[in-house]
Amino acid sequence: MTTTQRKKIIGLTVNEETYELAVECQETLLDVLRNNLGLTGTKEGCGTGECGSCTVLLEGEPILACLMLAVECENKKIETIEGQSINGDLTPVQEAFLEKGAVQCGFCTPGMVLASTDLLKRNPDPSKEDIMESLGGHLCRCTGYNKIMEFVHHAAKLNRDNT
Amino acid sequence: MSELDYVGKRILRKDGPDKVTGKAIYTVDIQLKGQLVGRILRSPHAHARILDIDISLALEVPGVKAVITGKDTLGIKHGFVETPRYPADQYPLAMDKVRFIGEEVAAVAATDVYAADKALSLIKVTYESLPAVFDPEEAMIPGAPEIHPSHPKVKEDLVNIGGKTASGWGDVEAGFQEADYVREDRFESHLRTHGFLEPHATVASFEADGKLNVWTSSQGPFIKRAKLAKTLGLPQSSVRVKKAYVGGAFGGKIDLYTHEFCAALLSMKTSRPVEIIATREEIFTAYRHGQPMIVTVKTGVKKDGTIVAQEFKTINNSGGYRGSGVVVIFLVWGFAMAPYRIPNMKYKGYSVYTNNPIRSPQRGHGAPQMRFAVESQLDMIAAELGISPIDIRLKNARVSGEMLPNGDNVHNCGLKDCVLDIAKHTDFTAKFGISRTEKQGRYRKGIGIGVSAYFGGSLIYPNSSSVIVKMNDDGSVSLLTGSLDIGQGSETILCQIVAEELKIPIEEVQVFAADTETTPVDIGVWISGNAYVTGNAAREAAGDVRRKLMTIAAEELNADIENLIFQNKRVYISGQPERSLSYEELVALSIQKHRGDSVIGNGHWRTMRDEPFHPSLATTKGRWTENYAFDAQTAEVEVDTETGNVRLLKAVTAHDCGFPINPLQVEGQIDGQVSMALGHAFMEEIMMEKGRTLNPSWLDYRMPSICNIADSEHIDVITERYQVGKPYRTKEVGEGYVSAILAAIANAIYNAVGVRLFSTPFTPEKILKGLEKIK
Repeated sequence: MTTTQRKKIIGLTVNEETYELAVECQETLLDVLRNNLGLTGTKEGCGTGECGSCTVLLEGEPILACLMLAVECENKKIETIEGQSINGDLTPVQEAFLEKGAVQCGFCTPGMVLASTDLLKRNPDPSKEDIMESLGGHLCRCTGYNKIMEFVHHAAKLNRDNT
Repeated sequence: MSELDYVGKRILRKDGPDKVTGKAIYTVDIQLKGQLVGRILRSPHAHARILDIDISLALEVPGVKAVITGKDTLGIKHGFVETPRYPADQYPLAMDKVRFIGEEVAAVAATDVYAADKALSLIKVTYESLPAVFDPEEAMIPGAPEIHPSHPKVKEDLVNIGGKTASGWGDVEAGFQEADYVREDRFESHLRTHGFLEPHATVASFEADGKLNVWTSSQGPFIKRAKLAKTLGLPQSSVRVKKAYVGGAFGGKIDLYTHEFCAALLSMKTSRPVEIIATREEIFTAYRHGQPMIVTVKTGVKKDGTIVAQEFKTINNSGGYRGSGVVVIFLVWGFAMAPYRIPNMKYKGYSVYTNNPIRSPQRGHGAPQMRFAVESQLDMIAAELGISPIDIRLKNARVSGEMLPNGDNVHNCGLKDCVLDIAKHTDFTAKFGISRTEKQGRYRKGIGIGVSAYFGGSLIYPNSSSVIVKMNDDGSVSLLTGSLDIGQGSETILCQIVAEELKIPIEEVQVFAADTETTPVDIGVWISGNAYVTGNAAREAAGDVRRKLMTIAAEELNADIENLIFQNKRVYISGQPERSLSYEELVALSIQKHRGDSVIGNGHWRTMRDEPFHPSLATTKGRWTENYAFDAQTAEVEVDTETGNVRLLKAVTAHDCGFPINPLQVEGQIDGQVSMALGHAFMEEIMMEKGRTLNPSWLDYRMPSICNIADSEHIDVITERYQVGKPYRTKEVGEGYVSAILAAIANAIYNAVGVRLFSTPFTPEKILKGLEKIK
C-alpha cells in the first residue's frame, strides 16, 4: 500500500484559513483535520458514521468528517470546533453548554456544539422534536441527554436575547 | 461557622471551557514526534492451542518497525484480582493457548496503519482448535471442555470454576420453616457494553533514559503503573502514567488491557512512541463488557411481608479469564444484603470460565442484576400477600445506625424517606391501584418501584487517597491529586472542597491531576470512592494549610486562634475586620519567619481506617466501608399491547447521597444512569453466538440517543451536613442509580399489563409472548 499511495494537492479553507495540502486519496476529512492540521477537537468515536462525534460544518452544513474523503472537500469551507470561539470568547451555544451542565466527559461535545449551532441558525426557537431530529445522530453516554436538551433551549434563548 | 460558598453549589465544571472549545486533549489526540501506529492480531478461535507463530513475512513489510508475540514478553501473568486465592491467570499476550475470539496473539508497530494492517495479515499463526463452551451452566458440568482448572478450594464436583463466594448468617432453613410464604425465582441479565465514546487508547513512549511514559484512557493511573511495571519487568519508578482527558469509562477502563501492554513493549522495542487506538469493532468484539448473571432467589416472608430468610445463588459468566468475575460474585452479595433486613441469609456465587471475551466491571457492577431479581420478586410476594409495594419495602428497609452482617454500620440511612417521598411525589398508590380491568385499549400504563443501596470507597488497590494543597506566592492554591476526571467532574468537586475550606475563590484553585510521578497516590475512580475518599483527603490537605495560615496569623495579629475568621483570601480577627492579613502576606510571613515554609498541606483518607485488609472475596468476612448510599426509583411506562413496545414515560429518583457536593453534577449522574438503565431495559444487547459478536457496531447495538430521552426527576433526601473543618460522609452518586430503576421498569410493565419478566432486556417479543399466555 505504502508504495502505491497517490497524493493529491487540494485547497481547503478551515476556520477561515486556507491551506494547500497533499492528501492521500483514501484519507478522510477527519484524518486530515486531526493528523495534518492538528485540529484534534474533532473526535473519532467510531469511524463509521454512527456516533456523530466527528461532526464539522462543510459550507455551513453539518457533516460526518469520518465519512467524507478529504479530496471531496477540495476548495470548500470547513468549520471545526476550534473556529467557534474567537479570541477566547465563547459563543452563546458554548456558554449554554457549560451553564446547563451538558458537559461530562466532553468527547461528544464538539460535535454537539456544531450541530446545535447549525440548528439554531436555521431555527432560532426549536421545539423538542426539532432538537431530537438535529441531534438524533449524536451519541452521548454520560448525560442521558436531559441537560443537552436544556442547553439547546437555553442557547436559543441566549441567541434571541443577544439580537 | 460561616455559610457554605462552594460546597453544595451548582459550580460549573473546571474543565468545561477546554471541552466546549475542543482544546481538551484526550489520549487519542496525543501525537508525539516519530509516533508509530500499533495494531493487534487477534484469535479467530474461541479455544485453541497455539502451535506456531511465524512473523517473518510481517517483518519485511516496509514501514514495519517491530512485531511482538508472547515469546517477546516475560510471560508474567496479570489479573483484575491478584491474591493468594485468586492468582493472576492471564498472559499479557497469549503464550500457549487462546481462550476467546479476539484474544491478543501478536502486535505490530509501523509508520502508518496501512503497513501495520498489512503486517498483521502476513503473520501466520498455526492453531490446534479445541472444544469450546460458552454457556456458564454448561461450562460448570463435569465433562465440559476445560478452559482453566477449577479453583482448588472449590470442593465441589464442578469444572471451570474461576472463583466462589459463600456467605451467610442465621439459620436459613429454620427461617424458611418459620415463614408464612416462600417462593423461589430465577432471573437472568444479559450482556451490555459500556458505550464510552472515546475508544480504548494508549500512547507509550520509552525514553533514552529508560523511562516509560504512558498516556492511556483509563480510570486511574496508579493501577496501570503497577500492572505495567509488573508485566514488563520494570521498577515502578521507570513507569510514569500521565494525565489525558478521558472520554468516558463506566467501569470498562480499570484493569490492565493488552493494548496498553503492547504499546509499551512496542515502544521499548523501537525506542519510538507507539499509539494503539482500538477500533469500535474491536471494542465490541474483543474487549471487556459487563457481567451477564443468573440470579436465583428464594425468599421467605411472614404474612405481613417481613422477610425472614433469603437464599441466593448467582452464576457469572466471566469469559476466558477471571476478569472481575470473582469480584462481582462477591459484590452482589453486598447488593443483596444492604437495603433490607434479612435475619437469615445464605449466599453462594460462582464465577465460571467460558470461551467468551473477558468481563469487567460496568457501572453498578452487579447491582442492576441483583436488584432486578430481588425487587421483582418482592413485588410478586407483595401481590401474593395483598400488601402494597410501598409497604413491603418500608417494612423491610434498613434504618439509620443499623449494623450490617459484615459489621459495617449504615450510619445515616434515608431509605425509608426515599420510599415515602417518592410514593408521595408520584402519587404511587393511586396510580398503582388502578386495576387491570380498568386498563383497556391498545396502550396501557403502569407504575413500578425499586430500591437499591450502594457503597463507596471500599478497600481495593490502592485503597486510599492522598492530596497535596500548596499555597502560591499570590495566595492562590494548587491542588495535587492522583484522581482522574473521567467526565464525572472529580476535579471540580475537589476544587470546591479546597475553595470552601480555605475560603478562596474557586477560580484561584488550580488542579494538577493523575500523574504517577508528581501527584500523590489515589484510590482511582471506581468503586464510587472519589467524592468521599479523595474528597476527604483534599479537605484534610486544605485543613493542614488552614492550620498553618492560622498559626502565622495568630502570631502576627497577636490574637487567639479561636478568634480568627477566614474570608476572601484573608484572615481576620472576629469583630475586628480592620485587623487582618491577606493570604499573600501570610505566605510571605511564613517563608520569612518559619524557616522558608511556603505553606504546603498534606491530607490523606482511607475507608475503614482501622481495618488492615479488604474483606474476603471467598467468605465476605471483614468490614467493607462506612459509606452506604440509598435510593428508591419509580418508573412509569406505557405498553403497546399490539407491538409489545414499551415507553418509559417518567423516571423518578429519590436519593440519599448524603448531601450533594455539586447538585448540577449529581443530576447529571442520575440522568445518565437512568438513560443507561433505559438502554439496559429496552435497547442494548451484545448478541453472541459461540463466542462471536454478531452486532459489533452502534448501528446494530442500539444505545439511547436524544430521541430516547427519559423524563427524569430527582428528589434529594439529604442525610448529612458539610461543615468546614470536619470530616464528612457524603455518599456515592455514580453507580447506585442504574439499578433500582431497572426493577422499577419491570414492575411497571407488570402493573400495566400483567406480564412478569424474568430476564433482561424487556423486548417486545417477551412482552407479546407474556400477553399471549395471560389471554
